[in-house]
Amino acid sequence: MAIFIQKELFNIEKIISNLRADKSSIGAVVSFVGYVREFDKKIAIKKLKQMDIEHYPGMTEKALMKIELRAKTRWNLEDVFIIHRIGKLLPSEPIVAVIVASQHRKNAFQACEFIIDYLKTDAPFWKKEISNKDAIWVENKIEDCQKKTSWNIEND
Amino acid sequence: MKINILFFAGIREMFGFKEKNIKIEESINSPEKLVKFLIEKEQGSWIKLLSSKDLIRVAINQEISEWSSPLKDGDELAFFPPITGG
Repeated sequence: MAIFIQKELFNIEKIISNLRADKSSIGAVVSFVGYVREFDKKIAIKKLKQMDIEHYPGMTEKALMKIELRAKTRWNLEDVFIIHRIGKLLPSEPIVAVIVASQHRKNAFQACEFIIDYLKTDAPFWKKEISNKDAIWVENKIEDCQKKTSWNIEND
Repeated sequence: MKINILFFAGIREMFGFKEKNIKIEESINSPEKLVKFLIEKEQGSWIKLLSSKDLIRVAINQEISEWSSPLKDGDELAFFPPITGG
């Protein structure tokens, strides 16, 4: 189990290979990677130049550990790896990765989605989009809150 | 009592600083009471903070809290906009 908050880029293949080393019980690995989009479909003329990510040191780690623990309690998992970047990011660069390993695919699929859904509403990160037009803090989406709550309604 | 106040993202930009240490009376024992006290004392961005109360998140000692949650000596109090990571 590991949580990383870092400025540097990450290599997902390397993470998966390290995670699988010496763990022959792993039968499935599911990974989610979020990237910086250069264009917003709604505003095609707006071109993103840079994304700044701020976080609350200390609280972020606590929040992610809590999410990881909830996922481990709910599903039988072999390993979980959460990595989130901070600082200045460029278009097409990776922002976040959630990698979940389990014996069978269903647990890994579900836990991976659960972790990213909770991360989006509970882990204190904030994105600022710097485009050719302006620099604005990203607003939260209602769908993200609904996605998180849906885990309680459907599965608890 | 002593309270360390932290600001993040748009709220930090609005205030122009990321941290403020203050000494207050024991009776100012919730984030809401503290902000109202600071409105009287300093005005400025505290007025805007309180007027957008419903949109702003409060954390005490790195746990999501309420505007009416109890504050005690040595607490770390943070104000920030809704989370947008991932």
